Amino acid sequence: MVSPGNFLKSTSFRLLAWYAAVFVASVAILLLIVYWITLAELDQQLSESVERETDVLAELYKSRGPESTVRAIQLRIADLRAPRRYYLLQNAAGERLAGNLPPMKPIEGEMVLPVSSLLRDRSLKSSGAMADAHPVVAMGRRLENGEFLLVGENRYRAVKAREAILQAFGWGIVITVLLAAGGGAALGVGFLRRIEAINRTTRSIMDGDLSKRVPTRGGEDEMDQLAINLNAMLDRIQALMESVKRVSDDIAHDLRTPLSRLRHRLEATRAKLGPGGERDVEQSISELDAILETFSALLRIAQIESGARQAAFSNVSLGRILSTVFEAYAAVAEDQGQKLEVGVERDFSIRGDRELLTQMVANLVENAIRHCPAGARISVSLEQDTGAPVLSVTDTGPGIPAPERDKVFRRFYRLETSRTTPGSGLGLALVKAVADLHGAAVELSDNRPGLRVRIRFLADSEIGAKKVSTSGEPVTGHGEDEAPDDRAGA
Amino acid sequence: MKILLIEDDSDTAAYVEDGLRQQGHVVDHAATGLDGLSRASGGAYHVMVIDRMLPGVDGLTIVKKIRAAGIRAPVLLLTTLGGINDRVEGLEAGADDYLTKPFAFAELLARVNALARRLPPAEEETLLRVADLELNRLERTVTRGGKSIELQPQEFRLLEYLMRNAEQVVTRTMLLQNVWEFHFDPHTTVVETHISRLRAKIDRDFDEELIHTVRGSGYSLGLSR
Repeated sequence: MVSPGNFLKSTSFRLLAWYAAVFVASVAILLLIVYWITLAELDQQLSESVERETDVLAELYKSRGPESTVRAIQLRIADLRAPRRYYLLQNAAGERLAGNLPPMKPIEGEMVLPVSSLLRDRSLKSSGAMADAHPVVAMGRRLENGEFLLVGENRYRAVKAREAILQAFGWGIVITVLLAAGGGAALGVGFLRRIEAINRTTRSIMDGDLSKRVPTRGGEDEMDQLAINLNAMLDRIQALMESVKRVSDDIAHDLRTPLSRLRHRLEATRAKLGPGGERDVEQSISELDAILETFSALLRIAQIESGARQAAFSNVSLGRILSTVFEAYAAVAEDQGQKLEVGVERDFSIRGDRELLTQMVANLVENAIRHCPAGARISVSLEQDTGAPVLSVTDTGPGIPAPERDKVFRRFYRLETSRTTPGSGLGLALVKAVADLHGAAVELSDNRPGLRVRIRFLADSEIGAKKVSTSGEPVTGHGEDEAPDDRAGA
Repeated sequence: MKILLIEDDSDTAAYVEDGLRQQGHVVDHAATGLDGLSRASGGAYHVMVIDRMLPGVDGLTIVKKIRAAGIRAPVLLLTTLGGINDRVEGLEAGADDYLTKPFAFAELLARVNALARRLPPAEEETLLRVADLELNRLERTVTRGGKSIELQPQEFRLLEYLMRNAEQVVTRTMLLQNVWEFHFDPHTTVVETHISRLRAKIDRDFDEELIHTVRGSGYSLGLSR
């Protein structure tokens, strides 16, 4: 399942967020354009209305004279249905004849009067203060005999209309954002699920289960195409892996069988020969055994690397493995004049393969015993590092120079200084393969003097993330599950 | 002893068959899985040596089928794949021991002998005795000629294994697998070192040696060879 935290970090979330932002921005720009056009239209209508009224009154003045005009203006002011209209008719001397505005300097044409100029004339207070709180669009016209007519209308309606439009646009934006986010999230989660299915498949393939395939929906979209292509690639990889495995199995069978026969013949020959020839045959047999052993080790590493071994994982006590190896090698080290020590701070039980882990620790200890001179101290320990079990093997021997440390894990890689000591050059390659199988990290460092090998296993909290065990499969290890062992600390 | 050998490779089969006959055993050889299965189902063998890879019916299937049929005779499985899962799979199927090809004949012989003499766990004795050497498995004490001998835990396990297989050859590999549970070949002298320490405690102060080295094979514990 897709967790919210993962969703926020995902590429599809970022894409969708961008998409939603662009979507919202374009809707906003569209609404702004509509807003401006509507406001301009409203202003235009207001001017036209004022001009028309001015025309009507000017015409009346011209045809019926000042008396009728004054009456018409008084009637209009009294009409409460037009509360936002303002009138002024004044004579040449600047005295008001009619109207609800104070006398003013006659100015021809359209103008905008501030509200304050109206409020000064308290006696002329007409409609509600609300309506007066807006600027007035007015039209002034000179009449015959120097008289002056002014008709105005305040912007109350335009302002109200603007408020209504803004409110509507506000809701529009809110709904757009909700739709963009909701739709995007729905799309994104669906998309993310399919990506997650691909990730799950590739993870289990990396863990060794090559039979897994990405689910397809039988559609023609890009995701299905990607899934189909991935599956085709996996089919190819599986075919290649199987052919590699077949080749190595064939080698295992076809080469080992003749080698076995050779060995049997040599044994039979040894039995027939007298004491003189016996030693030559003996040497041939041990050389043959060395070849066979290298060969087995290579096959073993290859099989460990294929990950198939995880099916046999059980609960293994690392402390017990350490004490087993310690008990086996303490006497060997002592005979060489070295000292082997064991230190278990706390025992850990991990999911793993006891046989391989034992061999891993044994290989490291043997390496130390082989490469260290008499008097060296070799120590095997198990500690805790931020919840993770850490297994260390340290010695006070010659160590490994820093530039060589990565290379020693390669198959058949041997240090110049140890070319003469016996060994196949596969010991550390196997250590690395076993550690990788368990999701553990191997680190070589300077022990000043000597070598420190540190193997950090996964903490419990990291196991889900790296998915070490093959889930769903029953544990087939015949080895009984082990509880952490008390003896380990002894 | 009557032994059944199921092995398709004629060279290996001849080698094992000859070797076992020379030791005085009666050997029946089956070259295919099907033939092997029908012979094994007869159930008249002390020990069966079965190759894992066989034409027709493979070795694992044979072991499963005869175990399902209630035949309890010990089975030694021969594996050739170098497969690290083979041992576990073989033991799960019901085999008692396994041997990876190629092997020395002495190794096979020692294992066949050990299997033939093996008793069910319930019948194992608490007190093991070889000559004047006594080992008490419950009290975890060892005495020789009445004199108490102090042993390290691994030395105790090693001696116990040798005593349970007294008068028989046990190989280095058998000791590694059964005493140390090492299913790989160490490059150092783990077995030799522990044997020599055990010798120092068991044999040094006594007239008669009990632990013997068998050249080319392994070790044996007993009065004399």
